[in-house]
Amino acid sequence: MAIGKSIPMLDSVARVTGTVPYASNLKLPDMLVGKVFRSNVPHARITKLDVSAAEQVPGVVAIVTATDFSGEGPPNLHFGSTYQDQPIVAADRIRFIGEPVALIAAESTAIAEQAIDLIELEYEELPAVFDAEEATQPGAPQLHGAFPNNVLRHSKLRHGDIEAGFAAAVKIIEEVFNSPAAQQVSLETQVAVAQWKDNKLTVWTGSQSPYTVRRVLAAIFDLDLEDVRVIVPPLGGGFGAKGNIRTQPLAAALAWKVGDRPVKLVLTRAEEFFTVTKHAAKIVMKSGVRRDGTFTARKITIFWNGGAYASSSAHLVPAGMLRAIGPYRIPAVRVDSYGIYTNLPIAGAYRGAMSSQGVFAHESHMDTIAHQLGIDPLTIRKKNLLHTDDTFATGEQLHDIHFVRCLESAADGLGWHEPFQRENGTAKKRGRGVAIMMKNTIANSSSECRITLDAAGRVTLFISTVEMGQGGHTAMAQIAAEALGIPVEAVSVQGPDTAKTPPDTQTASSRNTQMMGNAVLDGAASLRRQLAEAAAPIIEWLPEELSVADGYVFVTSQPQERIVYAEVLRRNNITALTANGKFSTNVGKLDSETGQGISTPDWHQGAGACEVEVDTQTGKVTVLRYHSSSFAGLVINPMLAGLQNDGNVIFGLGASLLEEIAIDAGQITNPNLSDYMIPSFLDIPVELKNVSLEAEGSSFHGIGEMTLPPVAPAIANAVYDAVGVRIRDLPLTAEKVLRTIEEQNDHAR
Amino acid sequence: MSFDFLQPDSLSGALEALAAYGDEAKVLAGGTAVVLMLQQRLIAPAALINIERVPDLNYINLKPEGMHIGPLTKLRDIERSTAIQEHCPLLSQTCGEVANVRIRNQATLGGNLAEADYASDPPTTLLALEAQVTTTSVRGTRCLALQDFHIGFFTTTLEPDELITDIFIPACPLESRMTYLKYKSRSSEDRPCTGVAALAAFDGKTCTELRLAVGAACEVPQRLPNIENMAKGQTLNDELVGEIAAGYAESIETLEDIRGSAWYRTQMIRTHVQRVLEDVRNGHR
Repeated sequence: MAIGKSIPMLDSVARVTGTVPYASNLKLPDMLVGKVFRSNVPHARITKLDVSAAEQVPGVVAIVTATDFSGEGPPNLHFGSTYQDQPIVAADRIRFIGEPVALIAAESTAIAEQAIDLIELEYEELPAVFDAEEATQPGAPQLHGAFPNNVLRHSKLRHGDIEAGFAAAVKIIEEVFNSPAAQQVSLETQVAVAQWKDNKLTVWTGSQSPYTVRRVLAAIFDLDLEDVRVIVPPLGGGFGAKGNIRTQPLAAALAWKVGDRPVKLVLTRAEEFFTVTKHAAKIVMKSGVRRDGTFTARKITIFWNGGAYASSSAHLVPAGMLRAIGPYRIPAVRVDSYGIYTNLPIAGAYRGAMSSQGVFAHESHMDTIAHQLGIDPLTIRKKNLLHTDDTFATGEQLHDIHFVRCLESAADGLGWHEPFQRENGTAKKRGRGVAIMMKNTIANSSSECRITLDAAGRVTLFISTVEMGQGGHTAMAQIAAEALGIPVEAVSVQGPDTAKTPPDTQTASSRNTQMMGNAVLDGAASLRRQLAEAAAPIIEWLPEELSVADGYVFVTSQPQERIVYAEVLRRNNITALTANGKFSTNVGKLDSETGQGISTPDWHQGAGACEVEVDTQTGKVTVLRYHSSSFAGLVINPMLAGLQNDGNVIFGLGASLLEEIAIDAGQITNPNLSDYMIPSFLDIPVELKNVSLEAEGSSFHGIGEMTLPPVAPAIANAVYDAVGVRIRDLPLTAEKVLRTIEEQNDHAR
Repeated sequence: MSFDFLQPDSLSGALEALAAYGDEAKVLAGGTAVVLMLQQRLIAPAALINIERVPDLNYINLKPEGMHIGPLTKLRDIERSTAIQEHCPLLSQTCGEVANVRIRNQATLGGNLAEADYASDPPTTLLALEAQVTTTSVRGTRCLALQDFHIGFFTTTLEPDELITDIFIPACPLESRMTYLKYKSRSSEDRPCTGVAALAAFDGKTCTELRLAVGAACEVPQRLPNIENMAKGQTLNDELVGEIAAGYAESIETLEDIRGSAWYRTQMIRTHVQRVLEDVRNGHR
């Protein structure tokens, strides 16, 4: 049995010994270095761009500016996976600090940097806007003519009678929550290597979406899809930052201008911060409750700061609307989710896209409600949690719902009901908190695979699943091994190469295990049928009388009558059998005016419970114990699932306590890992445990992101429990906590 | 970015190179600071003088009058030196608190002092230890008390042609207890938000000498002798500890950065001076 086994990642030794062939390490013959000349003002009209001196630097091979796109026909200046609003390089207008203005291909980094210093840019500054809500106000600077008031997308949800709901409430509670911009901080930065040959483009890149990259590049250069080949080696981390189009058009445009030599563009750490961030979000949450702690209504208004171009915001704003509601029975819900253009770097998916912000809001809010009503935070949640067959705010009936088990297993792990030492006579106080999340995944998506079996009995799985450290290839190999009855060692995985591996929507939104996993099952079933048909004439039984399992084709009624797979191929003189597998979901879409409909094929469910210590003289929060849980349905690899759950929690500590992109008048002032602080191994809670929940008869669910969004509210709730202060703005820095404690003390005096 | 890269293999060679380039040169020792500054284009020197090959600058010499430490000594070696652990545990403790092992294996004590980064641990402790810095140039040699060496925000009195050639730490008073308290407001591997070094000598319960240095919260590490003297001849009871902590918090002009505002720094000085004094009172070595 390959499913349910804790085996290490297939490439774990390579990862530890530094031999993974990351795109960042790729070297091609005659390869040039790409560099980007970026804007240093947030909003301006370009009056002059002179690259002539830079072009004269020996070793500079090509410089791309907007004039390269001004002729008839391709390439097109603007691109985008949903809206084509983003220029490869700024043409007449600069919309954020760090926006690419010119691209340089040179023999070396030093030469390219020398050339950058010689580029002359003149501009007239325009008024800029950085706050999302301000950007919607009358008189605010406008970024894109087609989007009045800078609203790039407004998603609405209207469920039940909201006025009647609030009228029926005995208590109405309204709070405002803020999450700042943060960076995904993959260890490997964004990279693309582009090469043109015979009017065909090949790109090696660190991307979670190889087929989206292919589609967008084909549109830019007006090529047939088949004339763009996208190859994705394993990634050194993705976390959503690599889920959309980033560096690929820049590298492709440079290589196009160069002509016959490949160009490699690797971003520096600082450039990562200018390229994509987590959405800063302001969430206003208002709930009506009855005295018993049940809900009558909830109204939510969200401003997502999308930055200067739409990118993935165009499809994430509606997802963020759903992910802010919470997994509770609420008869009337109204949500307005606004994606807003501002003069800041582009915001995109951040591990559990748009979930962390909303879950921080609804789970902090839930504790405020609990405290105001005098109900235990765990009790009030369990009283309201959604169950299978309940109706969600979208009007859809829920299936495979395990919120109560999720929350209980995290809380039980912590020992929620057991007494603990809250103080020991020092300045340090302890407290506990819980939080839970629900998340839809991509409603309509598709995964395909190809499986080959050769005459040596080896199986190769061709998938566009991106291996970014999560163990996606390992999980798929285990599923294939299980379905074909062979050891996992007999399975090789060929990762994304659009010339070799069939399409997959993307490796994102925790969808790979479920979607590609089912495609692999489908492909394996087809391969088993082919084996039975090929074996039938040899052992002289009908295909339908045969079974395929454990490495043999055998007669179902007489299992000793059997033949090994490889022998089936050899006896038929077949070099290889090939099977295709596919799994797609097409659940429909939500009504654009009411948000009613079916939003997802299945629900992501996760929870967390923690104990923290707050130093009341410094405000510093230390997470001592953390227990997480996620609903996995059927666990494929317990070790990797556990690491994923724990990894989420560690990742979440950063955004909860430390991480915030500091911005001064549109300029990021901490674009390095000395000033922008991520957690170190020493910050990991001493007790860090997780549970991956299974259910009888359930198939595999994604678990990539479930335990992350509850981290911030679980900690904020524990801080409240410890010292009685409610922090509504992330991160919970020591200074913020101390200030709030002091304000409360002043208030009490 | 281009610069001359020099690798002198003698002290005189290094000093001559420094004399030739003057303030156009930067000295490269461990590289943990200079290389970052180069990468971030904060500096653009005409020459980089790598002194790694200069002999006799990497040593720890214990003498009756104190400890001599060579400027090229790695922080990790100071942390692990049994001589320093025995005779000046405050210094090994402090060096062991800097960043992480990877940095400490590379960073040198001389480089740390020459950089004069306020957000650092060793300078605060060296001020409490009354360290002296010897500098050498083709013009001769000078010996400076640390407070005359670090004079401002990233500013030293090191002349462009001078190299630090020795760091001397006078022998600690007998029966003294000492500790360094590093407060990190962010991750466990962050630089200090506030650092407090204390050295206190006792006769029974009576404090006979107190040295208390505060760094990272202000432009240069500071001692306040008037306030230190309040402890002389006294027992360090809670009330006195509170007064000393308040005195330091109120007297030091704090700075603001990503690790905390000036207000927060003042609070952290109060809290950590108090905690460090409680530590030495209760018997830290």
